[in-house]
Formats: sequence, C-alpha cells, structure tokens
Amino acid sequence: MKTPPDENQIVRFLDGEMDAAEKSAFEASLAADPELRAEIESLSQLGATLRKSMPNGREVPHADFFNSQIQVRIAQEEMDRARESNAPAAGAGWLDWLRAPWFAAAATAVVALLAVTLWQGRSLSPSESSLVLSSYAPNPDVQARAFHSDEAQATVLMLDGLAAVPADRKIVGHSVHHSETDQQVATTTLFSDDGHVLLVLAKDGRNQPRLLEHTP
Amino acid sequence: MNPDMPSPTAPADGEVPDLDLVKRCQAGDTRAFDALVTKYRSRVYNMTYHLIQNETEAWDLAQEAFIKAWRAIGGFKLDSGFYTWLYRITHNVCYDWLRKKRIESDGEFDDSRTEHRVAAGAEAVPQMAPRPDQAMRNAELKARIDAAIAQLSPDHRQAILLKEVEGLRYHEIAEVMQCSLGTVMSRLFYARKKLQEILKDTYENAT
Amino acid sequence: MLAPRPATLWFCISLALCWSDSASHAQQSKSFQTAPIIEKPATDGKVWGALIYGSPAGTGADVAKGDLPKGLQDLPARLGKVFSFQHFELLGQHTQDVFREYESWVVPSKDLFLKVDSKGKADGGGINLHLQFWQDQQVLVKTDAILRERSPLFIGGPKWRDGQLIFVLLLTKPES
Repeated sequence: MKTPPDENQIVRFLDGEMDAAEKSAFEASLAADPELRAEIESLSQLGATLRKSMPNGREVPHADFFNSQIQVRIAQEEMDRARESNAPAAGAGWLDWLRAPWFAAAATAVVALLAVTLWQGRSLSPSESSLVLSSYAPNPDVQARAFHSDEAQATVLMLDGLAAVPADRKIVGHSVHHSETDQQVATTTLFSDDGHVLLVLAKDGRNQPRLLEHTP
Repeated sequence: MNPDMPSPTAPADGEVPDLDLVKRCQAGDTRAFDALVTKYRSRVYNMTYHLIQNETEAWDLAQEAFIKAWRAIGGFKLDSGFYTWLYRITHNVCYDWLRKKRIESDGEFDDSRTEHRVAAGAEAVPQMAPRPDQAMRNAELKARIDAAIAQLSPDHRQAILLKEVEGLRYHEIAEVMQCSLGTVMSRLFYARKKLQEILKDTYENAT
Repeated sequence: MLAPRPATLWFCISLALCWSDSASHAQQSKSFQTAPIIEKPATDGKVWGALIYGSPAGTGADVAKGDLPKGLQDLPARLGKVFSFQHFELLGQHTQDVFREYESWVVPSKDLFLKVDSKGKADGGGINLHLQFWQDQQVLVKTDAILRERSPLFIGGPKWRDGQLIFVLLLTKPES
C-alpha cells in the first residue's frame, strides 16, 4: 500500500530527516494550514514525552550473572567446536590427521589446555564453574544476588538485607566426622571425630528441622 | 525533531571504541566481548523487554542475542555500525520468538509466568516507593506510556523505540528491521497516530 | 577294611547327630539374630560444608590448611577476594554424602546449616542441587545450583559482631 506523501513528510519533518529546502517548504505549508500545524505540534509533543519517559536502556536484572552466563555458554560452544574439529573423518587414518592443516593448531590448543589444566593455579573456565541458576528468599527484605568471582574462583550468593545475629549470641561450630540417617524416623545423627554424638536433626510436626544438642 | 542524542558509537572518555573491541573479539578475545556485553546489555534488554513484554523471556532473549552476536562476529564488517548490527540480531531473535509464540498460542502471549529464571529471588524491577506530587505524576505518565507502547504491534513498537529511544536514523532502522525506508516511515507514522489516540488525555497534561 | 565296632559306630552316629543338631540350632539362631542387610542409599557425590567467620581482625585461630579439603587450601585468600575481611576463622565443617533419593543435611553449626537435595548429574559435570540455607528455624534462601568440583559456592550469611558468617560448600567427590 502506498503511503500518502504527506504522511512521509510529516514523519520526516518531525525526525529531522528533511534537507534545508524541503524543511523550508514544509514550514511554509504549516503556516498556511492550522490543522496540519496542530497535528505537528501534537505529534512533536508526543515525541518529547516518549523520549522523556522512556530511557534508552533498562537495567538488566542480575547483570553480573547475565554476563557470566554468556561467558559460560560461549566457552561451552568453543569446547564443543574444538571437540568436533578434533574428531577424525570417517575412515581417516592417523596420518591423515597429522597432515590436516588444522591439526597443528588444534593439537597446540589441546596441549596448551592440558598444560593449563595441570597447573594448580589456573582459573576454571566458565563452563567448569559452579552456577546458581535461580534463588528465592522468602523474606521480602532479603535480596539474593549471585555472581561468579574469577579472582576467588568461586561462585558467590550474597544475601543482602539479612538481620544481623546479636553480638552476644554464641555461634558454635562442630567438626562433623560423619552422619547417620534413619529414614524411618527421619532423624540424622551427627558424630564427631571420636564417635560422640554432636547433634541430632529431627523434624517437627510441620516438617521443619530441629537440631538438638546431645547431652551425654 | 529529535533533541541532540549522543551517538551510540561515540565512545566516552577512556572507553575503548567498539571497533577495537570487535577486532579483538574476532581474534577470539572473550573478555573484549564481555566489555561489549556490558556496554550494550541495558539497551538490548530494553529492546527485548519492550518487544516481548515479559521480563523473564526478555532476559533470556537478550542473552540469546549476545550469544548469536558472538557466533556471527567473525563475519561482521568493520565498516558498519556495531550497535545497528547488534540490534538487528536482537530484532531477529525477538521476532523468531514472537513468531513461534504466535504459532503455539494463536497470537495470545502468556505473561503470567511466576518463576524467574534469573539468579535472585527478589523482584528484578525495583519497587517504586510512593512519592509525592511531581515524581508521582512522572511515574504514572511512564506507566501509561509503557502500557500504550505495549498496545502497539511489534513492528510499530520497535520502530518507535528505535527512533525515539535509540535515536537511530531511518536507514539504520531499516537495517535493523530489514525493511525499506518507506516501511520505516509508514510504521513510525501509524505508531505515533496510535499512541496519540491512546494517550490523548495523558501526554497533553504532562509537565 | 575292618567294620567298625558297634560302640564306636554308635559313638560316631551320636556325634554326628549332636553335630547336626547344633548346626541346625546355630542356623536357626542365625536366622533370628542376623540383621537384614541394609544397603547404603545411593549417592550422587560428597560435599564439604563449612561455616566461616570473617572479621577485620579476629581473635580466633586462622583457618588451618589441615582442616581444609584438597583444592581449597587457599580458602582464606579466596574468601578475601570476595569479602572484605582480613581474618577468616573456621567455626565448623561437615563432609556429607549427597543422597540421590533423600535429603542430605550439611551442619557445620546448628546456627546455620544447609539442606541439600540432589537433582541428578549436571551436563558438563557436577551435580544439580536444590539447596536450602537455614538459620535456626527459618529458610534464608532456597536456590537451584550446579555444583562442580574445584568451584566452591560462597554464601554470604548474616553479619555477626564486627564480621560476617559465611557458608562454604564444595563438591569434593562427584559420583562417577
């Protein structure tokens, strides 16, 4: 369907796409046509309102995770690609592999990757890192955010907005050697290195865990 | 007419130009790509969000757009604008999704998903605390504009966003949307008329 | 071969009868007293969980390398990259099997502990887990995660005194 020429002129005028001569002619027609002038003013105001109200970017939720997920997928694809390109063609002998022009590059890459793998201090590639896929904090005051720290070579789940533990509260930790679970009564008994019972985890009527310290 | 808008390709002071980053990407530098993701993610997400009207899907599709961009970056011609190229990929990703959704659900898009697939349980969009007077009016206006934009067809919505929000020229919009200049102008005209109709009582009172 | 004398024969028969009787008795006893063999539940791996107290200047002992699993000997340094503390004290630790069909609990402290449900092996290695981070009788966060070897999960817990409680989870042994 052919757009009526005045519609094109209107948008081009509004969007500054007219050259000087066209603009001048259109402004002259505006002066002679109050209805058209009103229309242009109205549309111009609409444009100003849209630009004022709509930012040209929207904050990406969990931006660090957004980036790290992309890196993970890229790394995965690169690995898949390397794997595929290293696979021999059907019926190819090993000499054919050696002669293949890509082989030297692929072999170098594989050797480099192996060397790096053996080095203790190497960073894990994104596809080897743990991932937090989703999380939910029941307390609406708490915000959970996850990201991967390359420096720490760890995946981090931060919980912002948690209430602090009172300073006078004694936090007691245990070195648990092993645990035994009785599925029938749904209890788990935690033992120390020397076989003493440290804690017993049981469930209450609402299926909530209750930790009971063992009193000998 | 558009007010002065900073060109998306002009780097800020100290920022590496897009083409330098792209060249490094083409050499396999994933960190350079990460820098491009950081630079354009809010714009890409803005586009997917407005087109898809679903936060979770928009997040996924924004990711998809970047993954596709990485795959195709070897073929990117260094004499063209990276952001236009990226937006075109984003456009295609969204339209593929919309087409698929239309086939699956007779054109009705289900926006009732409750499970976020992003890593955090808190709301992705910050809650708007009640604010008085002017701020409230601005917030209400924005909400109405968002709702009005949502009523446009994807083609009209995209045209308006690329023009009014991104400040692209007609030929750039044509490149992103893979249509003719005439179609771009037509879509802009009808999108504006439709918004004008929807927002008749609203924007005239905006301050 | 000479035939056995009758007395000897009776003695042998008696002996045989006594023996078979006691054997039968033992068999019966065994069938009452032997506990049925309980198979250990299937597992998808093993995790090490620890509660760490990070603080600007601790009075407690620093984490000793001997307390840390292989691959996490540099835990304090790694924690320091994420949490802005200078001192990290290991309050408690627990290595726990991750059961395939049942929930597992990682309890280095009764104040902060983790419920772990396996969702099976993850593509590309590691285990898919559903984790619930508990403080007393409240769930602080529920999360779906993929835990991979050599890639610990640090959970930033509540502040305490002048520092913070941090939970560390590491997959020490995935099921092959």
